[in-house]
Amino acid sequence: MVNWVTLIDISLSGLGLGALYALVAMGFSLIYKVTGVLNFAQGQIAMVGAYGVVIFGTATVLPAAIPAWAAVLVTVLLGVVLGLALERVVFRQFIGEPVLSVIIVTLALGSILEGVIFFLYGQNAQAYPEALTFGGQLSLPLGTSIQAAYAVAVAIALVVVAVLMLFFRRTVTGSILRASASDEQAAMVLGVSIERTIALAWTLSIAITAIGGILLATSSGGAAVSIENTGIIIFAAVVLGGLDSIPGAFIGSIVVGVLQELGSYYLVGGTAVYVPFTDIQANFGAGFGEILPLVLLLVVILVKPYGLFGTERIERL
Amino acid sequence: MATNEQATATAVDDGDRPVVELDNVEIVYDRHFLAVQGVSLSASEGDIVALLGPNGAGKSTILKMISGIGRSERGEVTRGRVFLRGEDVTNDGANEMVERGITHILEGRRVFEDLTVEENLRCGLYRQGRRFQFDEDDYQIAFEYFPQLEDIMDLKAGYASGGQQQMLVIARALIHRPNLLLLDEPSLGLAPKLVRDIFETLVEINEREDITMLIADQNAKRTLEIADYGYVMENGQIELHDPADVLVEREEIKEFYLGTSSEDSRYTDIRHYKIRKRWT
Repeated sequence: MVNWVTLIDISLSGLGLGALYALVAMGFSLIYKVTGVLNFAQGQIAMVGAYGVVIFGTATVLPAAIPAWAAVLVTVLLGVVLGLALERVVFRQFIGEPVLSVIIVTLALGSILEGVIFFLYGQNAQAYPEALTFGGQLSLPLGTSIQAAYAVAVAIALVVVAVLMLFFRRTVTGSILRASASDEQAAMVLGVSIERTIALAWTLSIAITAIGGILLATSSGGAAVSIENTGIIIFAAVVLGGLDSIPGAFIGSIVVGVLQELGSYYLVGGTAVYVPFTDIQANFGAGFGEILPLVLLLVVILVKPYGLFGTERIERL
Repeated sequence: MATNEQATATAVDDGDRPVVELDNVEIVYDRHFLAVQGVSLSASEGDIVALLGPNGAGKSTILKMISGIGRSERGEVTRGRVFLRGEDVTNDGANEMVERGITHILEGRRVFEDLTVEENLRCGLYRQGRRFQFDEDDYQIAFEYFPQLEDIMDLKAGYASGGQQQMLVIARALIHRPNLLLLDEPSLGLAPKLVRDIFETLVEINEREDITMLIADQNAKRTLEIADYGYVMENGQIELHDPADVLVEREEIKEFYLGTSSEDSRYTDIRHYKIRKRWT
């Protein structure tokens, strides 16, 4: 018999994980929607964000640490700067170039960022400053509970998502960003500078991806190399949501988060799973939860290549 | 020669100075593709000027080079000059032209399909990124001429009808507060009744908002009805030009664009109507 409290517990933490993924996924969709670039360095950017707080907030690399909140602020600001710099120095050169070359560039960028982190910290996880670790559990109704660190991260993630949505829906600049993604030329005749729009998209994207990385780290107590894997997991999320849909990226992330948590709990090694209505017993190795989103990715690409909310393009051969 | 012409242009009084003026312009795309050749035209303050001609004659190209959008398509004015109120604006980019008060309504009802009607109008408020906030009053000018839009503010623009989309792009341009409006094929693919309504509204806008208009359209009859002056293009050149009421009476126009002449002849027969150079 299913233990309902556990199921709700796991689902809740899945929803939370999804909300964290959502930031990285929305960063990905934003770039794709506005510039058409598939940024395969999202995972590494999130990881750099996560380690940024370690770099500034602890005395591991720098001679002295700055307060934790300042470290977060500096990291996010550096994310903004990195976004501007990448657009200006790298990606602007590739406007109008084949998609493949841009993809290769993002892969290279990912490797470079990864190399920097490995150079500084090796492959070891790094604990976060005291002020950013929240112990204890929060009790929720029905006897379920959620880790405090997790709850804080999820709450912040949801606030960022809400602010982002308001920006896109309720401001002139946000509307213009969506408009340029929908019809570049028609936006240009309204006075929109495409360069500025693209720069804004990169800045926003990298900033929220960095925030996503930081929150993923806080929710698990510190920065770890495994955050890098987010890059491929959120790919499953955005493909499910439809590559160019920002709300789609959010919903896709939630689905993927829940799937991953349920999978990790119910399908881990040693847990015998009975296939329904049969006596067949299945055993899965550890870490199977993280595979589920990728299985989903495969199914979505086969069944519904444009995802749930993506724009269907008719391509003539 | 060129300096001479510029001198004449600057010497003219502010009142007489045409809003937009093309002097013997040649437009080349992609460095090799000659799209428009030796075109001279002008529009005076408050005028509606019609640019007529068949598909591919170069009407859109001319509008695009005036609004600067052609620069982003690798188009270039390689000969001649473009003036805006006497100021030389040849080959300036779209952003600069928007700042000077030009709004271009592109061919094919280019609404932002994923955005609602309201959000589309909101985009008209954007000028050089200075606007962030907005309020409902900003839309008033749009509702004044297109009250129907008020009822469909929350509709996704992609789902609006062709007529509504055409109204929307004109309304969006109005919110942009231009003093020169370039319209590319506003009648394309619309029912005759709708075309009549929209053209009537354009006249109203022209009169009440004091917006000079340059309209490129294949619907010569309808466009000449509302225009003050007309140019007829063919193969990247201007073949005929006259005040609209004169142009509409000319035999060639009747035959080839209005279809009111019974006589069967070919366009090549009227090749001898070469443009008088307006600058000399």
